[in-house]
Amino acid sequence: MQNAMSMILVAATGPWAAKTVAERASESLDTSLWAVAAYMVLALLAVVVLVTLLGLVLIYAERKIAGRFQCRVGPMRVGPHGLLQTVADTFKLLLKEDIIPTRADQAMHLLAPFLCMGATVLIIAVLPYSPTMQILDLNIGVLFVTAVSGFGVMGILLGGWSSNNKWSLIGAMRSGAQIISYEISATLALLVVVLFAGTMSLRGIVESQEAGWWIWRAHGVGLISFIVYLIASTAEINRTPFDIPEGESELTAGFHAEYSGLRFSFFFLSEFINMFIVSALAATLFLGGWMPFHIGGWTTFNNVMGLIPPSLWFAGKNLFVIFVIMWFRWTFPRLRVDQLMRLEWKILLPIGFANLMAASLVVLSNFYFFPGK
Amino acid sequence: MIVQATHTVLFYLIAALALVMALSVVFSRKLLRAAIALMGVLALTAGLYILLGAEFLAGVQVLVYVGGIVVLIVFAIMLTRSSDLLEDQPTLPRALLGAFVGLVFLVMSSAVFFSSPFQADTSGAQVTDDTVAIGRSLLDYGPKGYVLPFEIISLLLLAAAIGGIVIARKIPAPSQPFTSGGDLPGEADFTQPRSQREEA
Repeated sequence: MQNAMSMILVAATGPWAAKTVAERASESLDTSLWAVAAYMVLALLAVVVLVTLLGLVLIYAERKIAGRFQCRVGPMRVGPHGLLQTVADTFKLLLKEDIIPTRADQAMHLLAPFLCMGATVLIIAVLPYSPTMQILDLNIGVLFVTAVSGFGVMGILLGGWSSNNKWSLIGAMRSGAQIISYEISATLALLVVVLFAGTMSLRGIVESQEAGWWIWRAHGVGLISFIVYLIASTAEINRTPFDIPEGESELTAGFHAEYSGLRFSFFFLSEFINMFIVSALAATLFLGGWMPFHIGGWTTFNNVMGLIPPSLWFAGKNLFVIFVIMWFRWTFPRLRVDQLMRLEWKILLPIGFANLMAASLVVLSNFYFFPGK
Repeated sequence: MIVQATHTVLFYLIAALALVMALSVVFSRKLLRAAIALMGVLALTAGLYILLGAEFLAGVQVLVYVGGIVVLIVFAIMLTRSSDLLEDQPTLPRALLGAFVGLVFLVMSSAVFFSSPFQADTSGAQVTDDTVAIGRSLLDYGPKGYVLPFEIISLLLLAAAIGGIVIARKIPAPSQPFTSGGDLPGEADFTQPRSQREEA
């Protein structure tokens, strides 16, 4: 018994040998090209499966949670407890007619959903899900994520403009203005963690949280930037209370009003996957990613926490943040345009700058809980 | 070997695509399509930077140009009239001015093109793309540092931002209805005491 326990503890405390799929592929480059091709196929397949599963699960979860918040039961008819509702909806969407408005700019109308979806998929490939589950680790990870999300903005603007519909155009303009405003606060909040970790690589940031997560190790600075990031990125993904770009009561559906069938589902899906990306980034940067809940120096406690596999830690944190974002949606009313802009430029931005200065003081004086190595 | 071949193929693919995009920026009659083609050129340039091993520069290129400049251009196009109406013929002075500016630019760029030696670096030295090193040299005030240009650009950007705010600021006009000193439309100027406030 004693022997088994100590074996488990040894297994749990072993160093996390972090290795990405890209690294494995480049190692096998000298020996076998087939292995490289197999790794490429594996990575592509993983992304496709993840996107599909996330779409199914998140949309179902959103509808169930919305039901609970409104004292209903949510979808119940298709499958047990409505589990197959999203599958049925997907088939309905795929069978729908794909309409392009007569006076629309056809090529641009076709391109826009792919820009949105492409930006989303590119980000999914760099997220660290566990020490061994990451397709590619860039040493400019955080910068890459912020840069690539620019393509998403272009997709929204393009979709709204090319539909040749005034509601779509207004929705796209609102969305663009909102995203490029709130991007500043979100990036300032991310910068705080880059400052703490001293690296922009997402894996490096996770590994830097071995003694404790950044949200609580830096005397409130991390907590403030976590809250700022959560608010700003909820606005970036156009979710309630920041959903004036879609505002169905005033703009019908905003930038995607003229989209139907498969192309509409691309916009819809990329919105849900963006929610996953935002919570995955929040979990990775502030809540330790796949790193278990560690307290610097408490070896036994850390060992016990290490018994839970890292991928489960990541999934748990991620689901928690996703639930919080859904909770926002079904609790808060929609903001007006002027309130939205005031929140960003007069409240979040000054807080973000002050917080960044405080963070640099913390980093300069090495004034953390459990300074560690 | 295969890595080299892939690099070469990728380089020619990206370069050819970028050239096609660049030509369509100039020749497209629809403004928005030109802007999207410009986005393609800038993103493909970032691809060339990645091939050169300068990942940080590629990231900044996409962040600044795709996420900033092109979005701004598209915004400006969306705020102006529809691109379908873009049919009016330019007047003769305008056409002449355009041709002159184009010619000057052609001379300048071809002078640069023909005066640079384009020597291939065969020493095999790998470019180090270290963000820490870039940051240090930006803030270094030694002989090889860039702190002076960095500070000048910061001041310039600050001045531009303040200028933008000054231009966009609403000037309170008390005689007009629905204008106020505050930024809430249709509200009275709450900074004044109630007795002095003008009823709109």
